[in-house]
Amino acid sequence: MITVSGLEFGYGDRTVLDGIDLTVGHGELVALVGVNGCGKSTLLRLIAGLLTPRRGTVRLDGTDLASLSRREVARRLAVLHQALAPVPGLTVRQLVRQGRYPHRGPLGMLGEPDDGVAEEAMELTGVAHMAGRVLDTLSGGERQRVRLALAVAQRSPILLLDEPTAHLDVRHQLEVLALVRRLRDSRDLTVLAVLHELDHAARFADRIVALAGGRVAADGPPREVVTEELLATVFGVRGRVVHDERNDAPHCFLDHPLDAAHGPAVAGPAVHGPAVSP
Amino acid sequence: MRRLVWILAVALPATVLAHLLAPGIGDLGTLLGPAGTLEHRIMWELGVPRLLAALLTGAALGVSGLVLQLTLRNPLAAPELTGVNPGAVLGILAGLTFGLFPADSAGGALAAALAGSALGGSATWLLTSRDPGRAIVYGLLGSALLAGLVTLLLAYQPSRFGNALRWLVGSVQGRVWEHLGFTWWWITGWILLIWAGSAVLGVLAPGDDHAAGLGLRPGAARAAALTAATALAAGAASLAGAVAFVGLVVPHAARWLAGADPRRTVPVAALTGAAAIAGADAVAQFADRLMAGAEVTQRLGVPTGVVTALAGAAVLVTVARRAAHVPG
Repeated sequence: MITVSGLEFGYGDRTVLDGIDLTVGHGELVALVGVNGCGKSTLLRLIAGLLTPRRGTVRLDGTDLASLSRREVARRLAVLHQALAPVPGLTVRQLVRQGRYPHRGPLGMLGEPDDGVAEEAMELTGVAHMAGRVLDTLSGGERQRVRLALAVAQRSPILLLDEPTAHLDVRHQLEVLALVRRLRDSRDLTVLAVLHELDHAARFADRIVALAGGRVAADGPPREVVTEELLATVFGVRGRVVHDERNDAPHCFLDHPLDAAHGPAVAGPAVHGPAVSP
Repeated sequence: MRRLVWILAVALPATVLAHLLAPGIGDLGTLLGPAGTLEHRIMWELGVPRLLAALLTGAALGVSGLVLQLTLRNPLAAPELTGVNPGAVLGILAGLTFGLFPADSAGGALAAALAGSALGGSATWLLTSRDPGRAIVYGLLGSALLAGLVTLLLAYQPSRFGNALRWLVGSVQGRVWEHLGFTWWWITGWILLIWAGSAVLGVLAPGDDHAAGLGLRPGAARAAALTAATALAAGAASLAGAVAFVGLVVPHAARWLAGADPRRTVPVAALTGAAAIAGADAVAQFADRLMAGAEVTQRLGVPTGVVTALAGAAVLVTVARRAAHVPG
């Protein structure tokens, strides 16, 4: 369980987060949404302990993050970062095995069980067949699954995902999100994911938390949170929200930006575009 | 895997053998034969320590370059391009010019090289930490500045130029057992330490966030890794001065041979580097022998660094040309 209370953070004079309160319950899959630069990724990094807040606390299962060593944090939570620096010749298996680093023994040696965990993580994420391939030769979708395998190999109860579907085509977006959900179900993981597609968040998350102006603007189940008012206040977009007849999941039609200068993008029927373009 | 076995099982013994035979003093029979002959003594007291100095220098530069490349995440990060090696040479020459240690003191040279390389390296990294994308720009600027200071030293005492040349170009000529004593332990110790910590290098390479997410403190890990790289480069410089290109090219060769896992690339970089300088010095000795008509005692002998510079440049041009043909 993640408990964030009164969290404040900024760079120099610029305040990014101005008092965030947020709880992600055990086994919950929560999506973090908002416009670019609203502090979604910053919040994720604060929860991962990669940044230090100005004020406020992050607790993991009741323990203050600040009192944990980096290694203890790494055993409790895994982060899927947006990108890794290229390492020439690094293979999928070598990278995924690094997920066992927080569990290594005194001499930094990995044991037989660690190999097993890494192989299992590759099986689960569907990258086992490319274990020997060099990372640089993979497609974006494959690389994303490999990063997910790395996070899974860490075997931590909490998973933080920073835009897991960035740069993927629709099919791979669905694949990755379905995989995250399956993992959550089978492993009983607590997942907090920054997602930029509101429709994805509505479809895959148990709860949506929207950030705006450094604060939590909305927090609740997708059906309650995704409204035309949210599109206007959080995303600055005029749009309409309909509900999927099969599962009642909200779906957005985004018509035009609220900024009057732009006006409607196309006269007449609404443009059925993606929820929010990055 | 096969090319790894081939190159290390063939190249390293071949360069060692070539190095021993190149001066033409005697063959293996002389070396392993009965003591007492002059040739036997020359080989044991000049040839073998010179070979060991070459092997040690190469191993140190190879591993130092590999650590720099991995931790600074830059394929051009080499001791000579990050201010480390030029700093070491400046330290040694300053120590000699101002008489801080006797010309023959291995410990003095190591201490001076260490002080200089720490100065040169930390200057680069202090600038780099604010602007990591430009590590090599600052490294080159720093190296140029240090080279300028070296020139200033030489201008201050031009009579020392002949002695200084071996440090400037890099040579293992004249290294005898006395020079190896402590430096041997220094270099092998640091290499073993780096090998023991190779998991850290592996986790650090894909990025600071990645490393931190896996429980490593990237700042502390990088500081430790750069300290080790500096210590190795200083050890190499105290034996051989500024041998060019080995610290730049060998890590790439090691990755080509052994892949990306530092548990394998660290020892392979050490062995490849050792073979590289032993081979280069074998060529240097052979060239010496060809030119031996002139008065040998009046000449410095072909410096190892000249051979590594020529060969290294050729390798780089070949690699760069080949890389240019690879799409994307």
